[in-house]
Amino acid sequence: MSLSRTRTGALLATPAILYMLVFFVVPSLILFAYSFWSSASYRIVPDFQFENYLGSLASPVFWKVTFNAIRIGLFTAAITLILSIPVGYYLVYVSRSQTILYLILITWFSSYLVRIYAWRTLLGTSGVLNTVLLQFGVIDHPVSAFLFSPFAVTITLVHIYLPFCILLVVSSLSEIKRDLVDAARDLGTSSIGAFFKVIAPNAANGLVGAFMLTFILVAGDYVTPQMLGGSSGQTTGLLIADQFRKTGNWPLGAAQAFLMFGVSIILYVVITVLGRATGLIVKRRAKTEREI
Amino acid sequence: MLLRIIVWAILAFLLAPLLIIVLFSFHASPALSFPFAGFSLRWYEELFGNAQLASAVIKSMTIAFLTALVTLLLGATASLAWLRFGHAGRGMIEALTVTPIALPGLFVGVSLLVLFAQSGTQLSTATIVIAHVVIAIPILIVAMKARLALFDPSLEEAARDLGASQMQTFARVTLPLIAPTLIASSILAFAVSFDEFVVTSFVAGTETTLPMYIWSMMRRTVTPLVNAISTLALFFSIAILVASWVIGQARRRSAIAGRLEQLEPLP
Repeated sequence: MSLSRTRTGALLATPAILYMLVFFVVPSLILFAYSFWSSASYRIVPDFQFENYLGSLASPVFWKVTFNAIRIGLFTAAITLILSIPVGYYLVYVSRSQTILYLILITWFSSYLVRIYAWRTLLGTSGVLNTVLLQFGVIDHPVSAFLFSPFAVTITLVHIYLPFCILLVVSSLSEIKRDLVDAARDLGTSSIGAFFKVIAPNAANGLVGAFMLTFILVAGDYVTPQMLGGSSGQTTGLLIADQFRKTGNWPLGAAQAFLMFGVSIILYVVITVLGRATGLIVKRRAKTEREI
Repeated sequence: MLLRIIVWAILAFLLAPLLIIVLFSFHASPALSFPFAGFSLRWYEELFGNAQLASAVIKSMTIAFLTALVTLLLGATASLAWLRFGHAGRGMIEALTVTPIALPGLFVGVSLLVLFAQSGTQLSTATIVIAHVVIAIPILIVAMKARLALFDPSLEEAARDLGASQMQTFARVTLPLIAPTLIASSILAFAVSFDEFVVTSFVAGTETTLPMYIWSMMRRTVTPLVNAISTLALFFSIAILVASWVIGQARRRSAIAGRLEQLEPLP
């Protein structure tokens, strides 16, 4: 029975696994292979050389846009996480409000481009923010710096990725037993105290995960910086996308995509090591209950 | 109380930009600023005469429908497998099917582009569907996992012990339990596909989906027409979410009602 159960399982798993192997794993491997190829006069030549990597690492432009992407990513992910925590806490411990959950889902599933466009409309010189501020006399002439600035990019990215991050925080907070929080509250801890003493240490892994996932998605998002950042919106993502669309040096683009990937991994390691060293992240205990 | 205010302020931040888009889609003047010059349906009228837009919408609907269908089939079989696997098997399914959610669309887009180029596949509607399924499956699996964790395997065993065949057990026990979540999550797959832009831009070739069309309008000029399209797209997403929620609720209600009926004494 048990054996046939597993065999049926394997049979059932085949279509999805095969699909992901062919259309996700294999393409990633081809992209990796491409990163060692060379490109000569708009033709891609199979090769094995490290010039794409070394050339990128030696290029000031690459570093400039990569630092920009990392800065935007870290800044946005930090703000997003900070905003997600109260909402997540509220949804998990205070009220399981379906209304709030569905409002969050609506923003998550509302069009990506529409949200970029909305912020362009809001922040433009003749946009809503400027006209409102003018009417209230806060400013005396329209501020053009709202749009095409790191500020515009960050606020839009926070808006785009906040719903996703809230859902991640909700799922990581849900794993903490309510009794722990109630016990702390009964012993006289304030709700903020309970958060820092009970929830944060227990949820640290989940919260770091939420931060990293948001960082990776934000740092790789090149459309928002391009549309709202003006000259400050040059990121690695845009550089890579342009290699595949305009310039046509695919191997170089592939190498830069993996460099970006490497940067994310290094950052994750750094954050985890820092967290462990300062005692903010506790090593996850072995999952005993679930195993049995 | 303070927490409530903070939470609603954050929700206001999330919703305000969308509401402003909706508001200005009814603006009588082309200006996207206050003071508001009165309501008008002129932008919507202009949209409905636009043949290019209509064809983009139909294209996106077709792609989203096919994506939802393929995702449903792959997701359903993977979910059934998940129920039958131990810890290691579940881990493998998850590692393969959930990872794309943690990668920027750019990465998925360019890697599929090199696959299609390397295999000599012409970029078309089919390649867009293939790409959309790759990013829709993780969402379905994540949603299913939460539901499957509550699934009690002893229900299947009980049915088998009572003499039900494997097919009967599947049709009468397993499927009714997982179907609501499966359908609700494949509707989400539809929504994801309908809105997808970054991955699509790499694998679309000459095809124009609705987001690609909106993108080309956004790049050319700032026109209130974009507000009108955006509003329609927004209401469409809300309608999809509501549909997904209603299906989940209705199925759950009917399941509970069915159970109550069985508890009634037989005449």
